[in-house]
Amino acid sequence: MASTIFLPGEQVPSEVLPRSKKGTLTLGPGLRHIPPATVLATTLGSLHIDHKKAALWLEHENGRYQPAVGDLVIAQIHHSSVDTWHCSLTPHTSLALLNQLAFESASRKNRPNLKSGDLVYARVSRCSKWDDVEIEGFNSATGKAEGMGPLKGGMAFGISPAFARRLMMGTGKDGLAKGGVVVLDEVGEKVKFEVAVGRNGRVWVDSGSVKTTITVGRLLQSADEEKWDVERQRKEVKKALRDV
Amino acid sequence: MSPELTNHPLIRADGSATHTTSLFTILAAVNGPIEVQRRDELPEEAAIEVNIRPCAGIGGPRERWLESVLAALLKSVLLVHAHPRTLMQVTLQVLKEPSSGVRVRRRLGDVAVLPALVNAAFAACVDAGLPLGRTVVAGLAVVREDGDGVVVDPDEKALAGCRSVHAMGFDAQGELLLNESGGQFELRQWQDVFEVLKTTAAVAIAPTGEDEAMMNGDGTPAPWLRQALEGNAREAGAWRGVG
Repeated sequence: MASTIFLPGEQVPSEVLPRSKKGTLTLGPGLRHIPPATVLATTLGSLHIDHKKAALWLEHENGRYQPAVGDLVIAQIHHSSVDTWHCSLTPHTSLALLNQLAFESASRKNRPNLKSGDLVYARVSRCSKWDDVEIEGFNSATGKAEGMGPLKGGMAFGISPAFARRLMMGTGKDGLAKGGVVVLDEVGEKVKFEVAVGRNGRVWVDSGSVKTTITVGRLLQSADEEKWDVERQRKEVKKALRDV
Repeated sequence: MSPELTNHPLIRADGSATHTTSLFTILAAVNGPIEVQRRDELPEEAAIEVNIRPCAGIGGPRERWLESVLAALLKSVLLVHAHPRTLMQVTLQVLKEPSSGVRVRRRLGDVAVLPALVNAAFAACVDAGLPLGRTVVAGLAVVREDGDGVVVDPDEKALAGCRSVHAMGFDAQGELLLNESGGQFELRQWQDVFEVLKTTAAVAIAPTGEDEAMMNGDGTPAPWLRQALEGNAREAGAWRGVG
């Protein structure tokens, strides 16, 4: 993919803008639209275009997690009020709200008992720059948990939001990890563990033993910080699993 | 010596950068958008907090002045309306400054550090992924003691023996965003400096052409800021090549 790199404030030339049948255009992160037809970059990044969806966005690696509706996050309960929990998604930002009944098959009498410090795998259900972020522990459209809910046991590790995104990309048709991260697949062939990745730069790992849990978490953290390529990841996983 | 930029030296901060010129080394860290204290909260836009720490000792009135200049500049660069009721926190640490053996008059030294601070703060804001309205490049120039001849990006000797110091910042369109001067000068000299610094700023972010090698071959200075930033962006997308 020959990606073009834009500096903040540069204009995206109108020739590269994708054309859709409806004549609409979807702008993702890192771009802003100034009527009538100017598209400016607001950050440094490489331009990516999805012609099918007539969407374009700038990809930028670092920075703080910004909530967006539909993102899966790992939230930590900060404190409880009458019928909501206040949870932190990233440090030093205002707390997100989690309704105490926003869980699968939760009712007034039967709801999860969470204390401050507990972790919840949740979905961002509402966010605006004027209001508090709201999250939910189930899919409110279907009423099913879909993997979300309180995370018991295990341990959470901090990673960069960009690496979290790569971890969540899944595998492509060719069976290869789209994000170029094979650590979890490689470890999963040898030992059993559970994992949950939050877009807010947290990954939760649980396995039979503390040692395995920490090994997996450390592997992920080092792969992120030292920018391991696929080969290096395979090598390091093999090395780490020798001790487990 | 061409200015240098290091990307993301601090992993705990949201964004960080170090910037080295022939006179100064600055370490910049940016956190944001984060929760703002109630008394600093602005209902329609993000508050900008700049902290400058000098090479030695604690900050004084000089640092407060530099902070106010920088905060005003950053407000025109950051899209503050994108994150209302939040805080963008910029911390700048001076790591290296001209050695104490070189006597620089107070006001001249104050102005001289500004371009390095601006460039470091901007690079850190870019690294933090904050929404930015434009690209800014700052430059430093001095007018020699004889009143003629402008020296861009002076070394310690040129700074010590100069009549006036000028710090200016420009965006990609060549608009003047920062203008601070110290010492004695006339309007004509300021205009000379303005033209020279505008050109150097334009060069620093000039689009890299396909005949890049040829351009550098004949002694034209390289677009250092664009090259540094584009290098960072390439590195960030490197995993795509192997994945």
